[in-house]
Amino acid sequence: MKVIVIEDDADAAAFVKRVLGEAGHSVDVCGDGESGLSQARAGDYDALVVDRMLPGIDGLELLKRYRDAGGRAPALFLSALGEVDHRVEGLQAGGDDYLVKPYAPSELVARVEALGRRATGDIPTTRLTVGGLEMDLLARTVHRDGQKIDLQPREFRLLEFLMRHAGQVVTRTMLLEKVWDYHFDPQTNVIDVHVSRLRGKIDKDFEKPLLHTVRGAGYRLEA
Amino acid sequence: MKIGRLPALVRTTTFRLALLHASIFILFSASLLAYLYYETAGHLSRQAEAELNAEFQELSAANRGGFDRLNQAVTERSGARGKFFYLLQDSTGQKSAGDFDFLPAPAPEDQVVDVNFDYEVRNPGGEPVRRSAEGRISRLSGGGVLMVAYDVGQLGEMNRRITEVVWRSAVVGFVLSLIGGVVISRSAAQRAEQLARTAEEVMAGDLTRRAPVDGSGDEFDRLSEQLNAMLNKLERLVISSRSAGDSIAHDLRSPLTRLRNRLEGGLREDKVDGQRAALTKSIEEVDGVLDTFNAVLRLSRVQAGATGSFRRINVTGITDELAELYQPACEEKNLAFSYRPEGELFVQADRDLIAQALSNLLDNAVKYTPEGGSVTLSVKRLPGGEAEVAVSDSGPGIPPEDRDRAVERFVRLEQSRSLPGSGLGLSLVLAVAEAHRGRLMLDSAGGSPPNTGLAARLILPSA
Repeated sequence: MKVIVIEDDADAAAFVKRVLGEAGHSVDVCGDGESGLSQARAGDYDALVVDRMLPGIDGLELLKRYRDAGGRAPALFLSALGEVDHRVEGLQAGGDDYLVKPYAPSELVARVEALGRRATGDIPTTRLTVGGLEMDLLARTVHRDGQKIDLQPREFRLLEFLMRHAGQVVTRTMLLEKVWDYHFDPQTNVIDVHVSRLRGKIDKDFEKPLLHTVRGAGYRLEA
Repeated sequence: MKIGRLPALVRTTTFRLALLHASIFILFSASLLAYLYYETAGHLSRQAEAELNAEFQELSAANRGGFDRLNQAVTERSGARGKFFYLLQDSTGQKSAGDFDFLPAPAPEDQVVDVNFDYEVRNPGGEPVRRSAEGRISRLSGGGVLMVAYDVGQLGEMNRRITEVVWRSAVVGFVLSLIGGVVISRSAAQRAEQLARTAEEVMAGDLTRRAPVDGSGDEFDRLSEQLNAMLNKLERLVISSRSAGDSIAHDLRSPLTRLRNRLEGGLREDKVDGQRAALTKSIEEVDGVLDTFNAVLRLSRVQAGATGSFRRINVTGITDELAELYQPACEEKNLAFSYRPEGELFVQADRDLIAQALSNLLDNAVKYTPEGGSVTLSVKRLPGGEAEVAVSDSGPGIPPEDRDRAVERFVRLEQSRSLPGSGLGLSLVLAVAEAHRGRLMLDSAGGSPPNTGLAARLILPSA
């Protein structure tokens, strides 16, 4: 993926560039709002990573202008602690996701990659497939190697999210946000328990596991 | 009073008010004195004039009986040495009767004139003394002239003295009221000064200073009381944030010490694997520290009311989802989980904050209840219409004497110190409850032995 990072803190920008670079993405860095906006318009980027607080025009304004000018690349806002409440503002300004500093590198990579997938997968699908696992979104059924798997509604949504982001790491926080629509940190392993139950249903009777635990980061569904 | 302070004094509101009051006082006393003057000196003049009129009338009556009658009357009256003195001239201008020798003004042709004049008399020592008189001169029908006058010396003296007294009273009153104004103004300025000094000392860092209250119950006392109440609250807040700061420092010292040891250990490792392991552990420690910071920040923001978008929501909708979210975690730990909802219950709330608070309660229940126990999430409407969401468990509970302390920041009770946690969970629940104008009640869940189990009830006003 080709990503532009608009962030005035040089250390933070270098960190983002390194983390995304190591994950195999090509990263451009820009230090202020004005030039960031013109560079984002000029370049053909797959995703924008924008800091909320920027000298010149701030992140919200930058993204509004970018969207007004027809920019379609998905955007992730980075924001300092305490601005958590501005999540909604960020999303209203045309942002697609919101990450609060400090964050784990794996969280950043997972979210940026999730953005890229969303942009390319705009066509509505009725069927998701990962390895021998098949999900029919209309009939709300799941089969693996032709064998029907019964899922609770929440398990279905969980699996759907994992399948839509197959091959990518998804974090626990992302799952709580996207599958349960809650924005807080549960202290116990509630999400892990749900994932392991799902794993029990889709992997247990099969030789090759599809749902992998990524240590220190989250989960990945991969054939 | 120092001269240098006067301009500042003149600027004060109280002084200006005092000056205004002095002016009003002057105006008022001037009218009073004028009335006094009218009723005293004025009355005497008017009385004298009335008597003069009466005298003239009687003599005019005598004149109608002929000049001789008049002459006789004047002679009698002059002889009586009364208040008045007289001069009667015949038609040739010769004095015919009376005890006065000249006309102070030319006689009018055919009417009456009033005159004021000075004349000389000899006092008992034989020296001439100037006196003032007022009188009336009338041309008689027969061509003669009659003058009746009276000495105003005594009356004039009285008038002068009354006038003088009036003026002196005015001046003294003005000066006194000015002095009074200055005194009042100074005492008010002094009290304001005391308040300002208290504020200065508090700003300089002495939070124990309080404004003086003299018990008079006046405006300054009320102001001082309010200021003191504000200072009390401020002091409490400062002390509590200071102790929270101490707690944060205390709470972070151990993980930071561990972090330092890990990094140092990693530095001594020769093998890359060992270094990597040390770094991984270090990152875990830092994450823990960051989690604590995040929790503190979130708590502060909730307490400050700086967060949340409040709207009318069905609290049962949230509990449905949380029950579904937590049930597997309970079953995983072999805890019997039961959920008892009660229809739709609308409250004015922030969905994420309520979910966070309930999640903290459920986290606690799962964490502290030993395996084989039970956790219950229930929702019901209280008789007053409030919504009550309760999380109860069969764990060790919180001893009654510790329940108030359990919700304070960073307080971790004895039994819980061995388990992971920041000591902020219940503080946040309380903060969320208060942000919703609700309450948090901690009780025993009524298990056996008595006083075990915790029932945490979050009570929210209905919407």
